[in-house]
Amino acid sequence: MDNLELLSEYSLFLREKKEEGKKVVAFISHDNIPEELLDAAGFVPLRLMFAGNDELMDASHDYLSPSTCAFAQSCIGLFSIKPSHYRFLDIIDYFIISNHCVSDICASEIISKYFNIPRLNFYISYTKNDNSGKYFKLELLDFKDQLEKISGIKIKNEDLKESIRNYNNFKKKIFEFSNLNIIGSEKLRVLQRAMLYGPPFLPELESHIQMFKENQVQKTDNLKGILITGGSIFLNDFLIDLIEEAGGNVIFFDTWVGYSYYSQIFEDNIIDSIENPLDLLVNRFKNNIYDDHSVPNFLENKISQIELVYQEYFKKTGRKLGIINHIIKFCDHISLMSSHLKNRLQQKGISVLNLERDYSKANRGQLSTRIEAFLEMM
Amino acid sequence: MKICGVDIGSLETKVVLLDDNNIIDYRVGRSTYDFKRVGNNLFNDLLEHHNLKKSDVYIMSTGYGRNTIDIADDRITEITAHARGAQFFFPDVNSVIDIGGQDSKAIVISKKTGNVIDFQMNDKCAAGTGRFIEVMSGALEVPIQDIGDLALKSNNPASISSTCTVFAESEVISLFAKGTKKEDIAAGIHKSIARRVAGMAKRIGVAPLLVFCGGVAKNIAVKEFLEQELGFEIVIPVDNGKSIAQLTGAIGAALIAQDQNNG
Repeated sequence: MDNLELLSEYSLFLREKKEEGKKVVAFISHDNIPEELLDAAGFVPLRLMFAGNDELMDASHDYLSPSTCAFAQSCIGLFSIKPSHYRFLDIIDYFIISNHCVSDICASEIISKYFNIPRLNFYISYTKNDNSGKYFKLELLDFKDQLEKISGIKIKNEDLKESIRNYNNFKKKIFEFSNLNIIGSEKLRVLQRAMLYGPPFLPELESHIQMFKENQVQKTDNLKGILITGGSIFLNDFLIDLIEEAGGNVIFFDTWVGYSYYSQIFEDNIIDSIENPLDLLVNRFKNNIYDDHSVPNFLENKISQIELVYQEYFKKTGRKLGIINHIIKFCDHISLMSSHLKNRLQQKGISVLNLERDYSKANRGQLSTRIEAFLEMM
Repeated sequence: MKICGVDIGSLETKVVLLDDNNIIDYRVGRSTYDFKRVGNNLFNDLLEHHNLKKSDVYIMSTGYGRNTIDIADDRITEITAHARGAQFFFPDVNSVIDIGGQDSKAIVISKKTGNVIDFQMNDKCAAGTGRFIEVMSGALEVPIQDIGDLALKSNNPASISSTCTVFAESEVISLFAKGTKKEDIAAGIHKSIARRVAGMAKRIGVAPLLVFCGGVAKNIAVKEFLEQELGFEIVIPVDNGKSIAQLTGAIGAALIAQDQNNG
């Protein structure tokens, strides 16, 4: 199934949910939005996880400066020109305004205000400590309150726990899937679908796991292993194709669409042992140490994580893993850290390519050269 | 078997025939819009001149258009090719700066292994590339081959933005309007390129011995201003007293093919 088919299938899925009386809540994809609360209140979460292109970025310039994060630009472009495959954006009922980064808050404010989508607010702290945990809990309470008011449903602890359990089982399954030895583009395709649909995708995910386990025919041994960090490879991005055309294979997605999402899991007994399920979400927020927008120690945690994957890969294959730090143009968080990350990993003998780009097709040739040269260098 | 390196750049195509580390002959032509035709024509011209058949030659392509030429037996990026070519001329090379028609690159090479250990390329922008000089020589109405010499006559280089070709062109026009001398504008243009490329190169820690190659290395003013920006002397590949900096990528590609064929 190609991406256009997926979008059309997803559109049908959302429309069916609407016919069942559900409301759709959209947000710019990042890993701190409590989907479980949305689910427990009967809403359908819609992650904006679609890559941009020249047309979408251009369309956003009526609202945002061209020097804003290319992903944020593209999100606005989607609402501004609504290409035919994204018509499902017309049926969004609410939009979450969040502050994961400056571009996130700019884009979500603009989308809500200028495209007339009622807003929900959910703000997060940039630190990970006890105070930010208390702040996060207050935000969760406020968010729960907002959801209860618009849905008319009282979110019971048991319902929220059930949602947390569902999402937890779902993420565990994605974790299992991500460890399969299959080609990166195939892995990414399933990861993207899983994150778009959420737990309703579980049966399909299980059948993918079964199928890949039974038919492990994909030979990846002759390809050079890549870990991708920094910006996610969103739906409709050609980056994964460029990597594979150059002879690389992404074996680990250290990004929102990837490890940052499915690694946030609880032990089952913890879900049952904690009385207030909001505390589970607070703990998860505090323990999300790979969250690339938080301080302190983000860089240290990131380096340890990458080093661990690098060493495991080397132990398993006897080969070195290359790191591509995918920097979406004008994403301050990733670009600010990029030279530090590169220097620190290089000191450990790990090759890093800082690959900065927007979604323009015009630099496809240059991107190919950089990726190919990096693989030659490895 | 003879080896041929074909470097299809965005502005010029270079074809080099190599036999056991000796440069037998080469051809250079404008790439135009039809990379494949130009590459084939230059290659066929070399074959004809040396009474060779296609099957006598192993071809390694490189450069922006490396994937467009179907006669190539293998392909390599211009980054790896330039590094290998620079090593051929200067075995102790530490770094390479290649400024071509469409992009500029800085490369750091391991002295221990001879392999590329880091590189940096310019963004999708003509500033800091040969295209920038071409546009500016048009604006100044000075032939491109003369603009470097003109720049070196300046005692008071004008200040010109290094960030954007379009803005820089407007700046040049406004400098004209103010009566700024042509040589000062030319010097400003060259300093602007040098500043931009040196900034990129310093980020990956280039150091002597640094080899300057690519078509823009023919321009003496860029070399001089680059040396000022970097704070050390840089060298250019020469053959029989003639700069062959533009051929470094094609030579490197041929050498890589030769290395591979020799096992």
